[in-house]
Amino acid sequence: MSDLSSPADRASPTIRCLLGMLGTDVHNKGIRTLAQMLRDHGIEIIYLGEHNTCEGMTQAIIAEDADLVGLSYSSSNYLDYTRQLIDTMREQGVGDVPVMLGGLIHPEDSDALRQMGVSGIFGPGSKIEDILDFIHRAVGRADEPAR
Amino acid sequence: MSQLADKAKGDKLVGEVLAGSIRTASRLISRAEACDSSITPILKQLFCKAGDPVLLGITGPPGAGKSTLVNQLIQHYRKHDKCVAVLAVDPSSPFSGGAILGDRVRMNQHAADPGVFIRSMASRGQLGGLAKATGDALSILQAMNFDVIILETVGVGQSEVEIVRHASSVLVLQMPGAGDGVQSVKAGILEIGDIYAVNKSDLPGADKLVTSLREMLQLSSKMHPWLPPVVAIQANTGAGIDRLVQHIGEHRDSIRSGGEVHASRARERVRYRVVEICRQLLNESVFSGAGVTDTQLSAIANHQQDPYTLAEKLVGVL
Repeated sequence: MSDLSSPADRASPTIRCLLGMLGTDVHNKGIRTLAQMLRDHGIEIIYLGEHNTCEGMTQAIIAEDADLVGLSYSSSNYLDYTRQLIDTMREQGVGDVPVMLGGLIHPEDSDALRQMGVSGIFGPGSKIEDILDFIHRAVGRADEPAR
Repeated sequence: MSQLADKAKGDKLVGEVLAGSIRTASRLISRAEACDSSITPILKQLFCKAGDPVLLGITGPPGAGKSTLVNQLIQHYRKHDKCVAVLAVDPSSPFSGGAILGDRVRMNQHAADPGVFIRSMASRGQLGGLAKATGDALSILQAMNFDVIILETVGVGQSEVEIVRHASSVLVLQMPGAGDGVQSVKAGILEIGDIYAVNKSDLPGADKLVTSLREMLQLSSKMHPWLPPVVAIQANTGAGIDRLVQHIGEHRDSIRSGGEVHASRARERVRYRVVEICRQLLNESVFSGAGVTDTQLSAIANHQQDPYTLAEKLVGVL
């Protein structure tokens, strides 16, 4: 019953990217758009939606064996939430999974975020090519052409 | 790496899975999804260590409420201190190979519960409603002391019945408003249920659907010792879930009490699984190039040779 011409069959391991929002943030338009665009470039999105806790998201990263995590913010408390998530990830032994942020991130916070361990920041106007390029580099498959 | 070191590494992974390591199990599932045949010795060992969990398949059309129902079932089983694993399959894009796996959204409340393991899988080209690595993932999870394993299919149409080849109890979820009485007597997914649930039972037409499903099942039930029950539920509120769980338990008791029908279904599942593994081995041999040369393929493309002989040869090699 398997369709042998499926692209997933021939390519090297498919990238699994977990996308979600922490806390009370509910503006999901951006993250849903990104999910769809990444899907169209051959990436498997594990979509967690809104209202996640750092603990729950970390367990999801483990159970889903995610290659990277993307968070979207439209409220101002992203520094706290991101720090808390990365701390929890490290405690649970998945601190090596790359984290990228999108949404309304103030440029003056980038340094603090990068110091925390965030490896990609994509504010409004970011290009999908740049995000894809980042993802392939972050998961160590930069040599693969984007599908 | 030497064979001995490989074996030691494999034994270590087997030990970790048996000890309940979610991390190791989820890594192994990824390797199975990537068709990494080096895990086969591990899967062989794990298969023989399988416990005896409830193995429940849930299938139904898109939007019927499968994930919401799974969420209710997790909640119910957790109240009774049962550990639950869920494999939730969503479709891969036939164009890009990508996927949006969104089943976790409905089960978020259990995200941080260590007694619950949820894994989303993309169908990756498999057409029967499940993912290609479902069988391997089940071999891993069944060795892990879960009391209940739930297998949720993609939203199905009328003919995706692969779930019967993996689950020992199949729950078919329907909802009102999706067609008249003729729909319920057609072949396909409406023949495979051990239990039927009509979700969104507050909507008009639900009672009628329950009745027509019951009629359909009573007519065809002479072949079974088990008459599949039909339960009206509301997965968003939890109404009817207690009764549904009771029926799931009764079906399991019926399986445990033996009987030729259940035994022959179990053998049928194994038969299918063996064919599935054969197909995978053939795939590897044909597509990796080891079993088939370009010269052979060109000769067949030019109709100088035929594909039947080559296929017979390949099956002979196995």
